[in-house]
Amino acid sequence: MSTNAKDMPPRREGAFEREPARRVFAAELRECRYQFREGEDEKSPTFVLLPSGERSNRIFIVGTLTEKTRQGEQNIFYRGRVVDPTGTFFIMAGSYQPEAMQQLAKIETPAFVAVIGKPSLYQKPDGAWLVSVRVESITVVDKDTRDLWVLDAAKHTLDRVDAYAKEPTPDILKAKEQYPTIDPSLFRKIAYDALAQIKM
Amino acid sequence: MDYSEAANRISRKFAQSGQTPDVKKIEGKLKRLVDEFGVQPSEAERSVTSELAKEFNLPVPGAGSAPGGGKGGGTEEKKIAESVPGEWVTIEGKIVALSAPASPSIAQSGIIADDSGAIRFVVWAKSNAPAMTDGSWYRIESAVVDEFKGVANLKVHSGTTIKEITDDRSLIPTPAPIKDLHPGIGNVRAKFIQEWDASHDRMLQSGLLGDETGTIKFVMWKEPGKERLVPGAVYNLFYAQVDEFNGRLSLNLNTATILQEEGEIAVTGGEATITGAIVHIAPGSGIIKRCPVEGCNRALSRQNYCPVHEIQPKFIYDLRIKGWLDDGEKTHNVLVQREVVESLTGISLAQAQEIAENNPLGMDEVFLQMRDKVLGRYITCSGREIDNRLLVNKCEIVKFSSADHTALLNRAGGAPS
Repeated sequence: MSTNAKDMPPRREGAFEREPARRVFAAELRECRYQFREGEDEKSPTFVLLPSGERSNRIFIVGTLTEKTRQGEQNIFYRGRVVDPTGTFFIMAGSYQPEAMQQLAKIETPAFVAVIGKPSLYQKPDGAWLVSVRVESITVVDKDTRDLWVLDAAKHTLDRVDAYAKEPTPDILKAKEQYPTIDPSLFRKIAYDALAQIKM
Repeated sequence: MDYSEAANRISRKFAQSGQTPDVKKIEGKLKRLVDEFGVQPSEAERSVTSELAKEFNLPVPGAGSAPGGGKGGGTEEKKIAESVPGEWVTIEGKIVALSAPASPSIAQSGIIADDSGAIRFVVWAKSNAPAMTDGSWYRIESAVVDEFKGVANLKVHSGTTIKEITDDRSLIPTPAPIKDLHPGIGNVRAKFIQEWDASHDRMLQSGLLGDETGTIKFVMWKEPGKERLVPGAVYNLFYAQVDEFNGRLSLNLNTATILQEEGEIAVTGGEATITGAIVHIAPGSGIIKRCPVEGCNRALSRQNYCPVHEIQPKFIYDLRIKGWLDDGEKTHNVLVQREVVESLTGISLAQAQEIAENNPLGMDEVFLQMRDKVLGRYITCSGREIDNRLLVNKCEIVKFSSADHTALLNRAGGAPS
């Protein structure tokens, strides 16, 4: 029982850290093949490893909702496609995300939407991989917000590509191991093309 | 077993400390423990001794390295900062604060300091110790350090010897950075950056102090001679009490020596500006009802229930947004205040009230409308960061910048850096 300053736990930093929402283009997310769980706990977060060497438990995307379909008889859920300058995100919202499902149900396509959601990996019966985003919330936004997101996603993509070439973090090493055939400098080109699609 | 012999032995131990316990009572207790409860005689003696020690507010005689008491010998002379709860100590220090005793069993309480640090002390009324005066130096022999509410505390009991030190000594406390404070006694040099409403009748003043390293809440209770601090002024605050509650620290200035000074401090800790996207709007955002009791202002439940003042039908409406602002690397908890909510959502308090009272969804409708206007948007929020939450007093919707666009194009098209 000491009150020495050194023995005290550091000042508490809030009860928990919310996982940040990563900014990633559809073209990069599509390449993901590896997901893992941190910790043994039932509530431990699951991460999808981006090929550029960063883990993502949650992502933030802004794009055009081009299509949505209602599926299921007893357990209704919605699927949708959100398109960015580089490709397509597949999103879904089911009865476990009632708020997100109602938001999605209300939106008329096409529309610019901002989506906050959790990515996860599936392998289809034919062996093909699918990265799907389970929606936490989706709202209609304007074109300005879409353009801002393209800048934001490009900036974070370039940051990751630059970091990949420098000192490797454990996640970058894992990415090199899991995605031996992917050269992240590809994503620099993708970011450039996405930026170039915005009218000056 | 000869109970009277054991009882006398125990009684003698306490007689050395100036106490006169009832020998017959001790004998009765011992007999009961041994005969009725089958306790080992040695254990019974130990148990009765420690019970009495508690009663007289004395350390257990003969326990650990404790001396026989009264002589003052055997305890190590220590610097205040080195004394650890559970030890007998001899220290030399200056009385830097005296506070009103909280109970009749306490003769004096306050803070004693040396050049290594400071510690709160309590002089038991039963100790018959000479009264010490504020500002004088004393040698305190064979006092006990214990722990009260997680903070070390020096106890002066009847076995303690107090001698005044008359030779001239000086003591200049050194202020510590706010981020390095820990529960106990602390010295800071800080600026009074924000005054808060007193939340209690007995409270003289409360608010926020800041220095180059951070901010800390302070409180001062009403007491004769206490004066309010002036907002914006810089103070040296010596020997303030640092309390901890729910992992958060605060300063109690009632014991502190407060010296205003002319200097200026650039308070950096706490003031923050963050740009990101709003990724979540939490329940409890939108239009809310607040408790009308003066100084309370707590948010009421749907049934107009205040956790302190119960049902309050004459509530006051307010707007706020609680949510998460995410920059892609870290998510920041934000609390947006009314004026900012109005400018961000374009919905005024009056309009929100009109919706809340007339729309079939009531307050929920305000939440939904605000959510649809804010969620997923890029905004820049400024305000004060306290306990990992940004209290937003200014915010702006981010505008598309062609300069940023061009810079990124160059970066993406250029050679890898």
